[in-house]
Amino acid sequence: MIDSRYALLAIGAMALVTFALRAAPFIAARALRRYPQIDRLGRFLPPAIMVLLVVHTLHGAAHDDPVSGPWAEIVAAGVAMVLQYRLRHPLLSIACGTIVYVIWRNALWH
Amino acid sequence: MTTLSDSGPHGGLGALSLSVPIAMGYVPLGMVYGFLFVKAGAAWWLATIASVLVFAGAAQYMAIPLLAAGASVGTLALATLVINLRHVFYGLSLLDHMPRSRLARAYLAWALTDETYSVLSTLPANTPERRLVAVAALNHFWWVLGATLGALLGVEAQIGLQGLDFTVAALFSVLAIEQWRATRQPLPIIVAVGAYAVSQWLLPSQALALSIAICLLVALLQAELSGRERAA
Repeated sequence: MIDSRYALLAIGAMALVTFALRAAPFIAARALRRYPQIDRLGRFLPPAIMVLLVVHTLHGAAHDDPVSGPWAEIVAAGVAMVLQYRLRHPLLSIACGTIVYVIWRNALWH
Repeated sequence: MTTLSDSGPHGGLGALSLSVPIAMGYVPLGMVYGFLFVKAGAAWWLATIASVLVFAGAAQYMAIPLLAAGASVGTLALATLVINLRHVFYGLSLLDHMPRSRLARAYLAWALTDETYSVLSTLPANTPERRLVAVAALNHFWWVLGATLGALLGVEAQIGLQGLDFTVAALFSVLAIEQWRATRQPLPIIVAVGAYAVSQWLLPSQALALSIAICLLVALLQAELSGRERAA
């Protein structure tokens, strides 16, 4: 069980961090716009971090289930990415990637 | 019918039609989130509260295993900071759209998810503030609704499907493709993959933190260097 008081505290912290990030540009717009470096950071960091998160979650999932190797993760994420690139329909991409993975893990190897 | 003209193209009705495609994604994704959160051992109403207060899908999904493992509040805050860092840069490109009223501005900042951002950035700069807020609030509502339904379903359901938590990996994959579409630069991707490989080899237990630090360093370095190039 997850302790509710602990979870509420964590959720509160997450909410504050998220709000601060989203509100920062509206509060400090002038300061942020004065530096062209911010713009270049904005084009480098978000894609880099998102790729890190993808690689990290895939690595974690593959690590949890070493029996089938990393192929289920690679193929399922590949399905989601190709669909998103081609059709630009997030729900479809996420659903298809997840369904491929769930079937692979539940039916093919276990 | 004053209510009808009230909700004309610039009022609630227009906002509803803008938010319906988002609902198609938010309701089912929210449901999977609520379901997984309850299955991880949380009370159902925690999914509702998290969706109202945090309203950031990727961070909320990422938090489930961390909360289940009893990670420290600081760890959760740091993970949220990393995952949602991109939102700082969204706001910068939306400045012309921002309403004057402080309350409306604060709410928009609170509710500025990837999807709400993508809708708002397509609207003309003179869009009435009521409509901006209505779009954001409807999207917010769909997410909370989905999460609550999923959580209640999770309380009832006896079985858990193995691998359903892959949703978060698929969500990150989708966001990565959208980042690529917006930037089309291979360098950040190459640096990220390289940094992660090196970090796994050097310090597997802290691979994510170390690789984020490496990416941050490289990002600062290239921002500084390309700035000098242009100045020269």
